[in-house]
Amino acid sequence: MSQPETPSNLSTKPQTEDLRIGVFVCHCGLNIAGTVDIKQVVEYAKTIPDVVFVKENRYTCADPGQEEIRNAIKEQKLNRVVIAACSPRMHEATFRRTVSEAGLNPFLYEMANIREFASWCHPSTPQEATERAKDAVRMAVAKARLLMPLQTIEVPVTNKALIIGGGIAGMNAALDLAEMGFKVYMLENTQSIGGHMAALDKTFPTLDCSICIEGPKMVDCGRHPNIQIFAYSDLVKVEGYIGNFKVKIRKNPRYVIPQRCTGCGECKDVCPIEYPNEWDMNLGTRKAISVPFDQAVPLIYAINKDYCIECFKCVDVCGERQAIDFEQKAEEVDIEVGAIIVSTGFDVYLPYDMPLLGYGKYPNVITSMEFERLILAAGPTGGKVLRQSDGQKPHSVAFIQCVGSRDKNKYPYCSNYCCMYTLKHVVQLKEKYKEDVEVYVFYMDMRTPGKGYEEFYDRARERGVNFIRGRVSRIEEDPKTNNLTLYSEDANLGHPIEVNVEMVVLATASIPKKGSDEIARILNLSRGADGFFMESHPKLKPLDAPTDGVFFAGACQGLKDIPASVSQGSGAAARAATVISKPKWKIEPIISIVDETKCRNKTAKCGVCVDKCPYGAIKAEPNKAATIITASCHGCGTCVAECPQHAITQMHFTDAQIMAQIRAALERDPEDKILAILCNWCSYAGADLAGTSRFEYPPSVRAIRVMCSGRVDREFILEAFRLGAGMVLVGACHLPYDCHYISGNYKMKARTDALKGMLTKLGMSPQRFRVEYVSAAEGIHYAEVIKEIDADMKALGKEKIKEENAKLKPTLENMLKRWKKT
Amino acid sequence: MPFKTQKLDTAEALTLEWILQNKHYKLTLDKKQCVGCQICSLACPKEAIKIQKQPKVQGEKVKKATVDVDLAKCIFCGICDITCPYGAVKVTLNDSRNINIVEKESFPELVRNIKIDTRNCPKDCEVCVEACPLDQLTISRVTFDGKPVENLAALSPSQRRHVVVSVNIPKEKCPTCKACEYKCPAGVIKMGKIFEGKIAIDQSKCPAGCHDCVDVCPITDTLTFVDGKVQVNEATCVYCGACKVVCPIDEALTVKRTRVLHTPVHSGTWNKALERLTSPMDAVKELKSIGNKKAQEMVKKRAVTEEVIR
Repeated sequence: MSQPETPSNLSTKPQTEDLRIGVFVCHCGLNIAGTVDIKQVVEYAKTIPDVVFVKENRYTCADPGQEEIRNAIKEQKLNRVVIAACSPRMHEATFRRTVSEAGLNPFLYEMANIREFASWCHPSTPQEATERAKDAVRMAVAKARLLMPLQTIEVPVTNKALIIGGGIAGMNAALDLAEMGFKVYMLENTQSIGGHMAALDKTFPTLDCSICIEGPKMVDCGRHPNIQIFAYSDLVKVEGYIGNFKVKIRKNPRYVIPQRCTGCGECKDVCPIEYPNEWDMNLGTRKAISVPFDQAVPLIYAINKDYCIECFKCVDVCGERQAIDFEQKAEEVDIEVGAIIVSTGFDVYLPYDMPLLGYGKYPNVITSMEFERLILAAGPTGGKVLRQSDGQKPHSVAFIQCVGSRDKNKYPYCSNYCCMYTLKHVVQLKEKYKEDVEVYVFYMDMRTPGKGYEEFYDRARERGVNFIRGRVSRIEEDPKTNNLTLYSEDANLGHPIEVNVEMVVLATASIPKKGSDEIARILNLSRGADGFFMESHPKLKPLDAPTDGVFFAGACQGLKDIPASVSQGSGAAARAATVISKPKWKIEPIISIVDETKCRNKTAKCGVCVDKCPYGAIKAEPNKAATIITASCHGCGTCVAECPQHAITQMHFTDAQIMAQIRAALERDPEDKILAILCNWCSYAGADLAGTSRFEYPPSVRAIRVMCSGRVDREFILEAFRLGAGMVLVGACHLPYDCHYISGNYKMKARTDALKGMLTKLGMSPQRFRVEYVSAAEGIHYAEVIKEIDADMKALGKEKIKEENAKLKPTLENMLKRWKKT
Repeated sequence: MPFKTQKLDTAEALTLEWILQNKHYKLTLDKKQCVGCQICSLACPKEAIKIQKQPKVQGEKVKKATVDVDLAKCIFCGICDITCPYGAVKVTLNDSRNINIVEKESFPELVRNIKIDTRNCPKDCEVCVEACPLDQLTISRVTFDGKPVENLAALSPSQRRHVVVSVNIPKEKCPTCKACEYKCPAGVIKMGKIFEGKIAIDQSKCPAGCHDCVDVCPITDTLTFVDGKVQVNEATCVYCGACKVVCPIDEALTVKRTRVLHTPVHSGTWNKALERLTSPMDAVKELKSIGNKKAQEMVKKRAVTEEVIR
């Protein structure tokens, strides 16, 4: 498929024009000026080569301050701007706008953080804080010299959406988007949309009929002019990127031509063959030509060739309509969409591997989903709850909660809605059979945190249901009567109990949908330890997948009940609309690009970058240089650090820029300095918080910001030690899931573990190189870490450090040969 | 409990089951009655039935082939039950015979044209009982007032005259070998065969002293081993092919079925079964007679593609 060309403005060649750098030092009232001696910083800045203009402002971010910058750019013909003020996480975007208003490319400016990283964290050592501020300005100027103008990349957007999974969440997302006027494709791998909800009898806590409320929505989806349903179809391939996904769908053969099938069902009547119906939890049967249930949408019959004996009775009865085609083949369809909503739902665990409960062995032990089909009027027993062993009505039924859920050996998580559906079942059973049935519920905790849920629990208790707090250890069957004995404890009474019942219903765990790994592979999604899809951020981006343009709805992201799934469906629709409602999608140009002349893949099988990219944004075809799909690149820079040929460059965070910062940081007394390379999202934010919270720590640290710890090249560390750095710290997001770029922290860890081993072998004290995981909330932790490192540094002593560095230097210089030229 | 499948293989029977909430499908193969012919495996639309030749032990009689049904493929349609000439397979739904395919006219029943007129039966004759090679045929005698006769010799001559004899042949178990018809001295039984066909033995190709076919043939005297050669008495052959299954030499023995007597039906499943039980050409013949052009073409097309594959 075609990829957007790497924009021509993205060039790795340095600028040739004369540098005219302007430095603006902010007082921030007394926030900075109260500690840092601004005068000293200004005077120092004037002495830095290429700096032609220095100005101090009381508040740079205020309108007058911004105006001064704009004027200076114009009047002094500045082509680089350095602003020494607060954290770039605070005002980077503000000043980008300011410089671009003055006609300068917004990427030709750099911030020096002298508030969070100087004045606020070193209030009792103002001179050291001032020195740190000076160094920060020098580092920023060093980077600014090498900055290149970049253009925001724009890609066109296909204003259509694909919904994968036609359950209640997917249907709501589809209907909302369709109502907004977007074309929506719904992909469903079973023969009908509707999902689990279509198989339910009633819904809690209102006990309204499930299909009665869902059916109209299904019909709406089927009839909506903006919705096209691909039922009984599979997702084969997705290529492309946000706004421009190319999707391949395989329509499995139904052996019935959809356009001709009227859904009359005459074929079903003449078909002689029956097979277990998966929609009935295999309790009942369906014909070899049939629809899974009467309300199916689309109402198109399908032949199951595993069971069909090809008597062609259906062909005869279909007659003139000629809807049946035994020669039908699977068909692949290509569609283009701008956004994808994944709403693949869940599966129900069948506890065959818990032999003590006897499921699969004792005919009267069933799961809740099977109970649902028994109590459903359209189910195989016509709504009668009957024992399988003798077809009789049970006079006592025990419900067991948390079968598989909240179980360290099976599924440690809570399945969210089992307590509520069991309450629904006991209420239904009590209302149906009244005093004729004795009901027991064995539970661990009864969880009813929803609107009207606790009241529903009351309703069950009022019906005279026996709630027993305890976990059932085993069930035994009387082979003569098929009745069951439950062995449990009553935790409230504190002693073991035995209960005899005629039927047992297991509230089993819900588990990730079968095939989730396949979907994850195709869409490059990640799954949590529980197997459900990982959202971008658990609090603030619960509907966003880490892949841009892909969103989640419903239980595929984590188990949730119907109202929550419906809300998420609408939420995901809104999120998708933020993409597909735009004609163009803007992408930050801090992406990576490959230097084709250097890429090893042209001559050998390399592909290291392809494996390391957390987003699958790199392609390496044999004998060709690797290419980066611009719109899929998130700009973590992991590939840059991993490339054995140094053929990849991350724009705005180039090797040369970061090396220049390192050299600037370690220009004076490197043995006394801690060089910290911090990832933007967690550890830099944590360090910011240390400043904001006024946690004081030693001023010996010099910090460099990268987008992700995955960007930390081995060469950065080597260069730091070559220059004589006292200590080096790499700050990253916590393992395993905190990384903003999915797994950059893991890649960094593998790299630095090896590097640390090597440096230690060469005679370096191991404490001199540290990797620390600091979250954005852990300001205090960052301060502690710096204190520890500083103490270690002091304990080692300058002489020892110098001695070690002298020993390291020849090896490091050899390893950094390629930088000698510059 | 969910849908459960079960397979049980004992010395007497092979049983397969599907147990659903209120439907219980069961296939039972009676191993005593099964002769190891190929009929069911040829007729099965799902190719679920495999005939397994038993290894021959030197110096012993050859064992008849055994039948195995694949639980993963079987759909309990009942075609094996219907087509077994010996009635060895039973397919039931909730304990009664599953003849859904017959009721829906997707498959015919085999026709066993057996006519018995016992008016001429000699009262004490038991020739037919002895003639039945499968011991299926029984005779019952009742007095004029309907009481079963225990001892015929004890009755007076006039009582004897009024004894009513009836010959009972369990239809679904009778392979229509006609042995009883040939042996009957009074022409009481008239029988039409289920299968029409041809059996031939090329004695020149038979391995010396081999009489495997004779050993497995369930119908006495159809195949005989005389003077070191196997002789065929086609009159009683039912063309089941049990002999062909065990024959060690391909060209030595041929069994061909050319026609199957069945109730009228219009069904693709039957056309295919017929094609495999007889031959494509024979199937076309039948289809021609009922004027089904489309099906004829399909059979021919299949025959051509199979030829090409071969």
